[in-house]
Amino acid sequence: MPLVRFIAFSVVRAWQGFWRNAMMSLAATSTVVLMLVLLSGLLIVLAGLDSGLQYIESKVGVTARLIDNLPQEEVDALVLDISALPGVAKVDYISPETALERLKEFYREQGQQLDLGGAEITLYASVEILLTDPNQAGAVQGALEGRPEVERITTRQVDYQKLLGIIGYVRTVGIIALGLVGLTVLFMIVNMIRIAVYSRSNEIEIMRLVGASDSFIRWPFILEGILCGVIGAVVTIILVAVAWEPIKPIMVRVFQMPTAVSTEFLAVLSAVILGVGLGVGAVGSWISVRANLSSTA
Amino acid sequence: MTDTLRRPYVAVPDVAESVISMVDVGMTYPNGKVALVDVNVNIPEGDFVFLVGPSGAGKSTFIRLLIREQLPTTGRVVVAGRDLSTMRRGQVPALRRRIGIVFQDFRLLPAKTVYENVAFALEVTGATSAEIRKRVPRLLNLVGLHEHDDHLPTQLSGGEQQRTAIARALVHDPAMLIADEPTGNLDPVTSWDLIQLLIQINAMGTTVLMATHNQEIVNAMRRRVLALEHGTLVRDESGAAYEREY
Repeated sequence: MPLVRFIAFSVVRAWQGFWRNAMMSLAATSTVVLMLVLLSGLLIVLAGLDSGLQYIESKVGVTARLIDNLPQEEVDALVLDISALPGVAKVDYISPETALERLKEFYREQGQQLDLGGAEITLYASVEILLTDPNQAGAVQGALEGRPEVERITTRQVDYQKLLGIIGYVRTVGIIALGLVGLTVLFMIVNMIRIAVYSRSNEIEIMRLVGASDSFIRWPFILEGILCGVIGAVVTIILVAVAWEPIKPIMVRVFQMPTAVSTEFLAVLSAVILGVGLGVGAVGSWISVRANLSSTA
Repeated sequence: MTDTLRRPYVAVPDVAESVISMVDVGMTYPNGKVALVDVNVNIPEGDFVFLVGPSGAGKSTFIRLLIREQLPTTGRVVVAGRDLSTMRRGQVPALRRRIGIVFQDFRLLPAKTVYENVAFALEVTGATSAEIRKRVPRLLNLVGLHEHDDHLPTQLSGGEQQRTAIARALVHDPAMLIADEPTGNLDPVTSWDLIQLLIQINAMGTTVLMATHNQEIVNAMRRRVLALEHGTLVRDESGAAYEREY
């Protein structure tokens, strides 16, 4: 029961303190919201880019177009040779007939029908090579070059490297921006609590004189900072939830990956926002209380 | 003012029976200012003691040492059987609940009513609502403010504000009440009213230590007087009057 009374006392005092310096508290909360919106944006973009990366990763392989009318035994020998190369996960021979079937399927997926006007086409036969590691594409490509059975070699490794570079850049810029905003938020919360401590110095003095423990004096201020962070987080979660529906089609269009905007992702994002808001509030107020509220002399 | 009076008064400490005991206490601030020099004092339980001396004599330091707001640079201070020098930080709040303190400027919270000011002292030490509802009206009754419990400090006279402060100081049933110039902001009639209240509290068994410049009150009361001058205890006399040692 004493613990319950202590918690109730601290929470009520923190709530009263938050609204007593409403302007300062709301300014600090606004910076928390700004930081968390930035964090959400960064996480959404990174999740989209990661989804794109995973997609490309799964598609990165080497495709070797074969010369026309290559005998089956030579195809089999080539497949065997490629399978033995390091970094190769799987080798599939795509016959001209299979290639034509795929083309038709592609059109069907687009809601159209392949119309050749009655003409018959023969597509190239090819070998599709899946890799265990996308970075092995160069080595596999090198091994195939110069082989008489192979007419042309294509790979998506360049796309993969390009996307990897973009993700690294976005992540670095995002983290730096977040770090700067995070410092501003900490500064705001530290100041908010500092002002709260000074504005309540009479109360604090009386509390000490009548025998209040350090916990009773300090925790309301720490909770006030946490309250600032949590309110900021809740506002941000509401903003993200409201913006979620308009964001989804944009994400799908840009990243071609619906998984990046799944409900599970929104739940994880909300938890991260809440955790970061709470953490920043707690750290800021703890720093301020340590600096501005000396222990019982 | 004679040389005899300027010499430090040295009592034989009897720590065991004292509610307050100072043994060879010296206090020098970090800036070099000497506030107290070799002070030896014993105040038994139930005593009513005046602490007198000019401004800067060391009265405030004396009080700060008793509530462990500061520690002496030499000697030891024992309050209610506890040596404050060896007391851990976490034990200080419990000590302060054994000591009630009031100041010349009342130090009430202006936005709280009389009732809330007194209840606040219980609330911040984890008292239950039932305890608060039981104790606060009793204390307001004791100090004669039960009919003003919903008044804000600004709606009270100086004497009533000081009574509120006394009620707040007594919430934890302290062993002693320290009053630092409690009549400093009051007119003579109100001052006497307040002294009557302090006598009543003392009669109930609470030790009272009152720092004052009020010569009339000290002379009329004829209680024990501790006189400080330049940080030195120059007189410790029972049934004494206010003398101008300085």
